[in-house]
Amino acid sequence: MADTLQARHASPAADLDFHRLVDVDNGWIDRRIFWDEGIYQLELERIFARCWVFVGHQSQFAEPGDFVTTYIGQDAVIAAKDRKGGRQRLPEFLLAPREPGVFRRGRQHPPVHLQLPRLGLWAGRGPARAHEEEQYSKCATFDKSKLGLHRARVGIYKGLVFATFDPDAPSLDDYLGDYRYYLDVLLDNDAGGTEFIEGNVKSRLGCNWKFAAENFVGDAYHAGWTHASAAAAIFKKDVKVNVERSYQANINGHGTEFGLDLIGNAMGLAEPEVVEYLKENEARFAERLGKLRSRMVGGMSSSNVFPNLAYLTGFNTWRTWTPKGPHEIELHTWVLVNKDMPDRLKEAYRRGVSRTFSPTGMFESDDGENWEHCTRSNAGVVTRRQKLHYGLGMDSKIEHEEFPGAVYKVQLNDANQRAFYQRWADLMSAASWAEVPARTGADQ
Amino acid sequence: MSVDVLETPTAGARQASLQLVHDVQQLLYRDARLLDEQRYDEWFDLMTEDFRFWVPVPQSRYRRDSKGVFEPGRMAHFDDSLAELKLRASRWKEATAWSEDPPTRHVHYVTNIEVEPAELDGEWLARSVVISLRNRNEDEENWLGARREDLVRETPAGLKLAHRKVFVTQSVLLAKNFNTFL
Repeated sequence: MADTLQARHASPAADLDFHRLVDVDNGWIDRRIFWDEGIYQLELERIFARCWVFVGHQSQFAEPGDFVTTYIGQDAVIAAKDRKGGRQRLPEFLLAPREPGVFRRGRQHPPVHLQLPRLGLWAGRGPARAHEEEQYSKCATFDKSKLGLHRARVGIYKGLVFATFDPDAPSLDDYLGDYRYYLDVLLDNDAGGTEFIEGNVKSRLGCNWKFAAENFVGDAYHAGWTHASAAAAIFKKDVKVNVERSYQANINGHGTEFGLDLIGNAMGLAEPEVVEYLKENEARFAERLGKLRSRMVGGMSSSNVFPNLAYLTGFNTWRTWTPKGPHEIELHTWVLVNKDMPDRLKEAYRRGVSRTFSPTGMFESDDGENWEHCTRSNAGVVTRRQKLHYGLGMDSKIEHEEFPGAVYKVQLNDANQRAFYQRWADLMSAASWAEVPARTGADQ
Repeated sequence: MSVDVLETPTAGARQASLQLVHDVQQLLYRDARLLDEQRYDEWFDLMTEDFRFWVPVPQSRYRRDSKGVFEPGRMAHFDDSLAELKLRASRWKEATAWSEDPPTRHVHYVTNIEVEPAELDGEWLARSVVISLRNRNEDEENWLGARREDLVRETPAGLKLAHRKVFVTQSVLLAKNFNTFL
């Protein structure tokens, strides 16, 4: 029965040599991975239906019955807090509906429950349901317990809710590994924890999802030139990277490029109160995170959690790159703040992020332009023959007494992008999680 | 608090004269043309110093949900003062604003204009519908429709816009960016 209901369809792309398409030892990447439909379909199987994918923040599920609709890959899902249990007994659970797109968040007293218009047998009430049950009771092939919504595994790390549909996936803690050290910079710099400001902004970009992910995992290089106009408008000068005190670090394909400048990104919000807050609280951050990490809280940085969750310290924008095909993504953006922060500061973050990292924002509009053209140019066969260069910083690996993972000196580096694509190739080549090597930095 | 775009204000004793309706229409048409022509400094001159510009993101919610489609305090496309709008527009003037060069070809289409008295003397509520049509590069085309509520104030320098709320229809913006005002 399980074979009938959940057969896995092998894609012809499964026979490709992904460690050749992505040659991280020499720093070359074959452009077909950004264009080919077969490769994309295999990504949905081997990346998105397999990895821990971000579905929301715990603050979005304050009351039992609260839910949001979202996507894991192209599977439409409902992330909901169990109606019966409180936080102690039952964690959030997650289901994949058959009918995408009709639900949004409901939260009030009494709670607004999910409506499942075509699932009367599961969600209906009264005579209509009794009638359906009677009809189906005579149907020999129908076993209600084996049909309906799929329950996903749910994992929570310091407020972030992740889910996976793969029963063989490692635990969320193992999946994130030592990358949690870097996540804590934003998730654990304050005793009260974090929350999302209500609402988010969604937009569509005509790009392959990996161009967005690699941009955040390690592409510090683009910032100075791509965002020159935003920097000129906000800072009235060029932005320079501190070569001596900046790094890239990665673990299991998750990566962050960062400086130790405390306020580099936060300055871009053009909200002076945020910069003041960071300066005034540096010592408090250090009590929780240590001196080095306290300097990262608002610093010049970008990060991506494999496969498609990204964030910026300082701006505190969190976002997902949800694939809608090989050449399209839906971008969802939220703002993360410390729960105990004064309301006027939360307001400064909310309005500052809208002005910078949203579809109307001063930084984001130029990024979209890049990613779309990086994708579309691969329609050309001659263009596609030429591999892309990812060879910057091949010799820049260092041992660092505190920073975990594979650590590289200087933000301007392709190290994290190579690690992102290495993890991608590991997963695309593997028939199961057992074949996926851990990438902790020791072997890279 | 939910924001009901259909809410009808309490009708005062005042009524908009034909002349006033005409003047408000002309103001909104000029506003649209200045945006089409990307003459932002002149566009800002149509606003009062305390101008607020709010473009919330709609949420798709059940009818019986007490939280509304549009609410203040959520993430928004715009929630700006005049100075903050000027900061945004200052980027468009930079030679390195790559996504603005070559320039977008804009049409702001304004229609369904109604003028009603607002709470204070000398202020009027102007409702309208606006459609932004953008075309860029070779074949990139984006449409965005919205209903608007403007607070129009009589000033010694003529009618000015004091507050603008824009209620767009798209909950997912079907574009990579939004590089104009509405």
